[in-house]
Amino acid sequence: MLEIKDLYAGFDETEILKGISLSVKKGETHAIMGPNGSGKSTLAKILSGHPSYIVTSGEVLFEGENLLDLSTEERSLAGIFMGFQYPVEIPGVNNAEFLRMAYNARQVNEGKDEVDPLDFDDILQEKMDLLSMESKYKERSCNDGFSGGEKKKNEILQMAILRPLLSVLDETDSGLDIDALRVVADGVNRLKNKDNALILITHYQRLLDHIEPDFVHVLSKGTFVKSGGKDLAHDLEAQGYDWLTPTN
Amino acid sequence: MSSALAENKNSAESAFFSLHKTFLEKVKPHAELLPLNRSALGRFETLRFPDRKHEMFTFVNTKDLVTSSFSLQTENPVQSEFVRQHVYAGCEQSHLTLVDGILRPDLSDATALGTSVKIESLVEAAKSESVRNSLKISIEQENDVFASINSSFMKQGIGLRVFRNKQVGVPLQILHVSTGSGNGSVMTVPRVFVHLEPLAELKLITKYVGVKGNYFINAVQDFTVEDDAALTYTQVQADPDDAWHFSKNRILLKRNSRFFGCQASNGTRLVRHHSEARLSAPGGELELNGVSVLVEDEQAHNFIRIHHEADHCTSSQHFKNIINDRGRASFDGTVIVDKGAQLTNSGQLIDNLMLSDDGRADCKPNLMIFADDVKCAHGATVGQLDVNQLFYLKTRGLSELVAKKLLTRSFAESIIQKIPFPQVVKELNNTLLKKLEADHG
Repeated sequence: MLEIKDLYAGFDETEILKGISLSVKKGETHAIMGPNGSGKSTLAKILSGHPSYIVTSGEVLFEGENLLDLSTEERSLAGIFMGFQYPVEIPGVNNAEFLRMAYNARQVNEGKDEVDPLDFDDILQEKMDLLSMESKYKERSCNDGFSGGEKKKNEILQMAILRPLLSVLDETDSGLDIDALRVVADGVNRLKNKDNALILITHYQRLLDHIEPDFVHVLSKGTFVKSGGKDLAHDLEAQGYDWLTPTN
Repeated sequence: MSSALAENKNSAESAFFSLHKTFLEKVKPHAELLPLNRSALGRFETLRFPDRKHEMFTFVNTKDLVTSSFSLQTENPVQSEFVRQHVYAGCEQSHLTLVDGILRPDLSDATALGTSVKIESLVEAAKSESVRNSLKISIEQENDVFASINSSFMKQGIGLRVFRNKQVGVPLQILHVSTGSGNGSVMTVPRVFVHLEPLAELKLITKYVGVKGNYFINAVQDFTVEDDAALTYTQVQADPDDAWHFSKNRILLKRNSRFFGCQASNGTRLVRHHSEARLSAPGGELELNGVSVLVEDEQAHNFIRIHHEADHCTSSQHFKNIINDRGRASFDGTVIVDKGAQLTNSGQLIDNLMLSDDGRADCKPNLMIFADDVKCAHGATVGQLDVNQLFYLKTRGLSELVAKKLLTRSFAESIIQKIPFPQVVKELNNTLLKKLEADHG
């Protein structure tokens, strides 16, 4: 599904990713872990096409197509979803209306009819129930004044609405208390199936207690320094990142 | 000031004096109002037309306006269909139409107001000593030369009085129709005096429209809100692009009274709103909100003075401008808190969204606080669409164009949604916000 080949990328003139390769297949869950500043979030932003991040060399293929040629919205319509580490507050944009617009953009792209607000409300309510979200979050402005936990739930709600092929969840666990973490993780697990894939970017192992990864990769100073199975996450929790971090 | 400019200014003033002479000789003022007209002319002589250094007109260039050779508007016909188009749903039996500042009973219907509201001509209203005194004092203390011009030509106009303890259920709409002129500039001076007696409540919508352009509407509204009374007020400026629109709202709030105001401006070659509010007794609450959407060369300016004269009053202001092309907006707002006005709570926020490189927004929020136990905040923002918000929306599959539209609309909607009249909100969604869509392609 996703092939990253020897990717070099950065922000302004600072090179952050220094030769990354990763292969993600349908049905797989990959966890990318690493210390602060290792380039985890940069990778997420590159995959979603943030205009401030520049790819200097390398290749990213998504479903066989060159992802880097696509605009941010084209990537979304192609099936990539990014769960933000810091979801953006958009005062004045009604959350339900925004979600419906996003849903309909996907519908139109797939050659289907747009859904009206009434029908969409049924779809939305079902997904909100999945995440134990109160219905007041429909009427409020998108993420505006939401608590950290509600913002993250709202991200997963969008993931549920948009049914992406590949979800890149950037530190979805940060800012969540243990109960909210369980709800969010349960939601993600229910959305997971053999046809989609998941990249979890996280600093801590605790998210991986709830969403079991098939592969764990450790990113440090812009390169993957170790990859392994889910046990690697336990090793990291016990020993920290220092033993893997290259010193120079 | 250069000598050429000074000459222009002097000749403009001479033109206004001679226009006033025409008014006295040909239009013939009412004997009851004549002393007030003369007093206002005296104020005009003192104040004179502003130059760019005038504190009140720092951001507003009135040169083209004052050097235009105005005549007084003569009566022009207005189609009843035109009026019907501009009367809001729900106000069919509660609207007053003023054509060029003159009440037209044939185009008005106030049956739904019943006996709660007394509607009379300004001359009739001014027979009441309190109204006359109120007008007299405001004219003598006037600091806005354009409001003085209104008073010096004041003849027609209306007085509204909501009787004690009467809560008017239906919204009342005042529709100002300027007929404009095909040739030469004309001036109209609508005057509305609104008086809410104690415990009265009124919902008022004022809308300004024009048939033809090339006019200068120079309106003044006096609001007196007595103890425990409440006025909910919405002002919609929708004149043609080539009109000049000046309006002054003078608001006097008494004990525990409330004024909730929202204004929406479409912009013209020059729109200037002046709001002057006095919270004269404890417990007064004032809220002023405004939104303008300006494209091409449209301008809209706000000048606001809020005077907290008594303790335990609150005032809040939130104004937003969306500026595209070469549009211009300004906000010059001052909140004055007197020494005795303890426990004042006041907030002022101005947000400008700039959509082009050539637009301009000037902001001057001021606070003058002489009390020592108050909470006052003010702020101003000028910026473009937030790139992070745009990116976020695009990651959800919305195109750049749709994302921009959504963010721009939402910027204005947060003020528009505060307007408590759904029919006005609906109209603004179809007019103000449509302007943006046209512009964004």
